[in-house]
Amino acid sequence: MPHSELMMLLLADARLPVAGHTQSGTLEGALANGLDPADVPAYLRTRLLGVTRVEAGTAVAARHAVVTGSEVVAVDRAWAVRTVSPALRDAARMQGQALLRLANRVWPASTNPLGEVPRPGRSTVLGTVAAHFDLGAASLARLVAYDDVQTVCAAALKLVPLDPVVVTGWVHDALAGVDEVVAAVADVREPEEIPAVSSPQIEAWAQAHAGTSRRLFRA
Amino acid sequence: MPDHLAPTRAVRPLRLGVCGPVGTGKSSLIALLCRELAGRLDLAVVTNDIYTDEDARFLRSAGVLAPERIRAVETGACPHTAIRDDISANLMMVEELEAEYPDLDLVLLESGGDNLTATFSPALVDIQIFVLDVAGGGDVARKGGPGIERADLLVVNKTDLAPYVGVDVVRMLADATEARGDRPVIGLSRTDRASIDALVGWLDGVRERHLSGGLVPVDPGPMAPHFHAGEEHAHDHDHAHEH
Repeated sequence: MPHSELMMLLLADARLPVAGHTQSGTLEGALANGLDPADVPAYLRTRLLGVTRVEAGTAVAARHAVVTGSEVVAVDRAWAVRTVSPALRDAARMQGQALLRLANRVWPASTNPLGEVPRPGRSTVLGTVAAHFDLGAASLARLVAYDDVQTVCAAALKLVPLDPVVVTGWVHDALAGVDEVVAAVADVREPEEIPAVSSPQIEAWAQAHAGTSRRLFRA
Repeated sequence: MPDHLAPTRAVRPLRLGVCGPVGTGKSSLIALLCRELAGRLDLAVVTNDIYTDEDARFLRSAGVLAPERIRAVETGACPHTAIRDDISANLMMVEELEAEYPDLDLVLLESGGDNLTATFSPALVDIQIFVLDVAGGGDVARKGGPGIERADLLVVNKTDLAPYVGVDVVRMLADATEARGDRPVIGLSRTDRASIDALVGWLDGVRERHLSGGLVPVDPGPMAPHFHAGEEHAHDHDHAHEH
């Protein structure tokens, strides 16, 4: 089995074929509805305190469920009730399908625990795959939070083009917030321990985005 | 289809890709094929749009197919990526349609309008049409590129507009034919019945090869065909050989 750090790099790589280029982490909806492009770094911090914390906690709980032989479906339900916006749930489920499709083909044994989970969210799938590769809880949380930052920043380069060096600076400056997410969720075990923090403004933007007919990114 | 064939399909539905620059008539060509074929084939369409589902809405409003059989993939401003490097979103949509409509014969995939270098991955489609139009300029066929030179079929669309845009269609088709060797070229106009028959005839031939298991998807590349030292002609990889 490959080293878990290599698996983390592979799963974090934007070249992973899971249609990541269709996602903006709600940035397009935010910019279209009033977010100032100069406030993207603040948007990153807000996500790390809200929606991303739920996602990272969900992945860690799913990993724990697989490791202890508990039901993963309870984790996915816990994620769903903490993700108020149907648009966000839908986007996460689509990304979950893409990752599941990949994992079923390349690491078929890794997805067995997801057998009974209907349309699992991306973090549920990611946590399940991570358990298969002995990726630690903290590493997994780091991966989820880091990927969220990079998703938003890559979309920013399309939506408000600027020198990519500046955007990489945004990513770097957000890493302290990534560490805070890791500290907050690495010890999550049971589904009820997944942070329940809503992000009403992001959810409202996600809903507005889902209803527009002039969007570039799926979500 | 007879009932006894329904549970297991020997051959999955043919996947036809339609790509080419924006405005050349990809959606109209798909609407035309739906009109021509819906009476005898079970069809579905996947569009790849720049904004949301514009092309899908155009096709739904054309009334050529039940609206639920026309689905849109959103490409995050990367229409090229979605048909070539990371085809996951498109494959998931095709598989979803195939699961919902087990009797499908043909899935038509429309790329987002891109540039001359964008072609479909052979892992996504079995066969592909590259579409140009006379209004884009008579010299485009001469510029070449992977789609123009090596797509399975090149369609030069809107030939009826030639007199209005000062293009010599005969010359443009000759240029295209020269760029493509023995690969087919069709000058198409929706007002020219013979050209429509030629398109449908080509597709029927493709379907026959698909159903008999003789159709092997060929990548037009973005890479140009290469020469080996000592060889006089370029060649593709659709015929096997050792390197």
